[in-house]
Amino acid sequence: METPREITFLQATAVLISTIIGVGVLSLPVIAVKAADSGAPLLTFLGAMIALLSLSILAALGKRFPRKSIIHYSEDILGSWIARIGSVAIVLFFALLSALTAREFGEVVVTSVLRNTPLEVTVIVMLVLTAVSCRNDMNTFSYIHLFYLPFILAPGLLIVALSLQNADMINLLPIARVANGEWLYGSLTIAALFQGSFIVTMIIPSMPRPAKTLQACLLAIIVSGGLYLLIVIATVTIFGAEETKLLIWPTLELARMTSLPANVLERLDILFLAVWVTAVFTTLFSTYYFTIHSLSNLLRLRDHKMFSFFLLPFIFVLAMLPQNVLDTYRFILTIGLYGLIITIAYPAVLLIIAILRKKREDQLDREHAQESP
Amino acid sequence: MSMWQRFKYRKETRKLSSAKALIGSSFSENQRLPAKLEETLACMKETFGGTDDFKTRRFEVFGRYPAALIYLEHLTNQREMKEDILRPLLQKNAAHVESGSVDRSELPELITNDILFGGNVSTGNKYRTLVDRILDGQVAIIIDGLDRAIISGSGKVEHRAISQPETEQVIRGSREGFIENLGVNLALLRNRLPSVDLLVKTIQIGRKTRTKVAVCYLRDVCNPALSKEIIDRLQKIDIDGVIDSGYLEQFIEDNHLSPFPQIQNSERPDKCVANLLEGRVIILVDGCPFALIAPAVFSQFYQSVDDYSERFLLSSFVRLSRLVALLFSLIFPSLYVSVISFNPELIPTEFAVAVAGGRAGVPFPALLEVLIMEVSMEVLREATIRLPQQVGGALSIVGVLVIGQAAVSAGFASPITVVVIALTTIGSFATPAYDMALALRLLRFPLIILGGIFGLYGVMVGLILIVNHMLSLRSFGIPFMSPLVPGQWQGMKDTMVRGPFWLSPKRPELLHPRNSVRVGTESQSIEQPPHNTLDPVSVGNRRWEDSDGDST
Repeated sequence: METPREITFLQATAVLISTIIGVGVLSLPVIAVKAADSGAPLLTFLGAMIALLSLSILAALGKRFPRKSIIHYSEDILGSWIARIGSVAIVLFFALLSALTAREFGEVVVTSVLRNTPLEVTVIVMLVLTAVSCRNDMNTFSYIHLFYLPFILAPGLLIVALSLQNADMINLLPIARVANGEWLYGSLTIAALFQGSFIVTMIIPSMPRPAKTLQACLLAIIVSGGLYLLIVIATVTIFGAEETKLLIWPTLELARMTSLPANVLERLDILFLAVWVTAVFTTLFSTYYFTIHSLSNLLRLRDHKMFSFFLLPFIFVLAMLPQNVLDTYRFILTIGLYGLIITIAYPAVLLIIAILRKKREDQLDREHAQESP
Repeated sequence: MSMWQRFKYRKETRKLSSAKALIGSSFSENQRLPAKLEETLACMKETFGGTDDFKTRRFEVFGRYPAALIYLEHLTNQREMKEDILRPLLQKNAAHVESGSVDRSELPELITNDILFGGNVSTGNKYRTLVDRILDGQVAIIIDGLDRAIISGSGKVEHRAISQPETEQVIRGSREGFIENLGVNLALLRNRLPSVDLLVKTIQIGRKTRTKVAVCYLRDVCNPALSKEIIDRLQKIDIDGVIDSGYLEQFIEDNHLSPFPQIQNSERPDKCVANLLEGRVIILVDGCPFALIAPAVFSQFYQSVDDYSERFLLSSFVRLSRLVALLFSLIFPSLYVSVISFNPELIPTEFAVAVAGGRAGVPFPALLEVLIMEVSMEVLREATIRLPQQVGGALSIVGVLVIGQAAVSAGFASPITVVVIALTTIGSFATPAYDMALALRLLRFPLIILGGIFGLYGVMVGLILIVNHMLSLRSFGIPFMSPLVPGQWQGMKDTMVRGPFWLSPKRPELLHPRNSVRVGTESQSIEQPPHNTLDPVSVGNRRWEDSDGDST
């Protein structure tokens, strides 16, 4: 591939965390509450567990094929043609995911900050920003994620911490409302918010020690899932389940409710949204990068830079498909659920077949590891 | 023009532009000196093209052998030539001459070993060496009948005294700065680092100026690949002249299009020595008081020498304030523009009212207002640099009055804008490195425009673009944002704050030094000083007949 690359454990974790935490945080509480009312925190937890399951499948696959991305090793496992269909599906799904991320954030910006700006402009600004950044190599990719990590975590934690003064713990009860058929559906929807973590298949080949992937995944799920959980808890305790259902972006409302002590700034939500651009950017950056990287892998190209602007118009058109905000969210939920087939079921099938066919390529690495402990 | 003529013409021009042609073409590359004085002199005269400062002084060695001194008049140390070269050669009653046994072929050895006083004596038998030495300011002695010339003496160029560096002022620390003379600068470095491990490699760059460039590094610290790479990059430079170290910087930097400097420059010998000790390479250029320090990462550009001379707690505080100033100079005006034009509800109501009141008489949108003020500030700043010092004061008074007071009362700008611009300008002055401050000054303008179009969203997008660019920059392979971003804990202690010396006992690993021990393990730690020598309770106190904590 390109120059020898090394992504450390810390960088891998940062990539996963900042990919997972994205624009989905804004609407997460309402999705959770709609499915499970006051059981939303528990539901979020279950969703995170499902995400962890999918990540551990990917980590296991990565451990078996430490020098290849999913595009390459799926061909070894399934044979080229079937695998290529799967890979095309992955590329399409991630292109769609990038488009919807850009669209969702564009909607947020147009609705709450730049009311007179056309939606197309905000979406295209975000996409161009990402496309420009995608021309970097894998090392810079991980540097960018590592650098933005504090700017992604800090505002979320700050909002939660500041808003808890209005919290009412009674709203959390009952923790689990039994006999509601939406549990599985709900937790799957939450798990779909973690789908960006599929990117781990791209970074494993660049890690010097792929065996540590699982630890990185675990840490990433703990941090990002923890933040999700905190935000859901804060929203439910403050607004209550029924009130939350009426909001589109409860997290933004949460930020609007809070204010800094001594009234330094009147409204925090705008500042929150501004800093949140980094979170959206990193998510979009990951999915976009994954799209073009997988596409160039699929076409056996050495360099992915060519695609960064080539794909831009297609992704823009995809982003413009939904009619309005509500339509966008219908799209996101549907695509997210079907995406689970690609991000969970497909790797699981790959893993099972790999075990059955006894395909593995880590012998060399294992010997290497024994030589230099 | 026929084919043949064209070919001939091209051959001619190529000959003219080749290196040989630069110093006259009256001899070929390796031509040796003839054993005839007149012939050599004629050839040299032709080579120097009848320039008026080329001097010939004819005399007879020991009153016997006809000879001549040739030199460039203003480049040579005249006193040394007179006392150490001419006087001993003109002696007629020297012992070995009296005996009359001197053979012509033994003459060069006799003169170099017994007669000449100067320390710098050599012989040469090629025109090329002769010309080069003369251009260096040495004196060539040509004796009739000998096929080699004796070269002695040294050039003497007047240089100013060592003075305080103008660009990098410190409160506490050395007052010495580099000057234009390479020899003096190297002496300053050597004097502070008297070690056999300090290597100085000299290369000449520039087809015409043949500027001496010294590459200095510590043999046992600096990564050998780094010094080799720097020398390689320097040797590839092909330019007619090197006037300043900035020329070299632009040739050897990694990314030519980036606004950020990837090589640091400094006027301070102490800073250079500190960087040598960290494993960096110093490039000194003759005729330029600025040394280049390579490679450089972002954190270096807001560090100052006195950060290390003050105690760590205080210098950490100062460094943090410098970082705030740096951030101010980059984003403050764009934040102001975006908040005023898009989200005035962000700021507290009372203040918003005051701002709106101030802006009431201003006809322009905030974006335009800030841009006008910023541009006039840039003009004012540039003018203050170029003006002679006597007028500079007057200009700044005019500037303050015009920009500050009159612009507001003329309804040209609101008072709050003036405050913002002033803070920004002061912020950019607080950045110790001028080139970094310049980069941030430049990047401020696109940010202001983005902020004026897209509000805070635009400012964030611009910042993300800038930061992404910085994260992708490399200086000789080192990530520009290191040690912060690849996550090297050792180096991070000296990034945002300045960690105490005992906390960072190793050299920063981002430079991959050969030897990483900086502070010995036995050094002082914060817990307890080893002896409370002058503790009033214990100093020489004798209690119950035994000495309790004597002060040794």
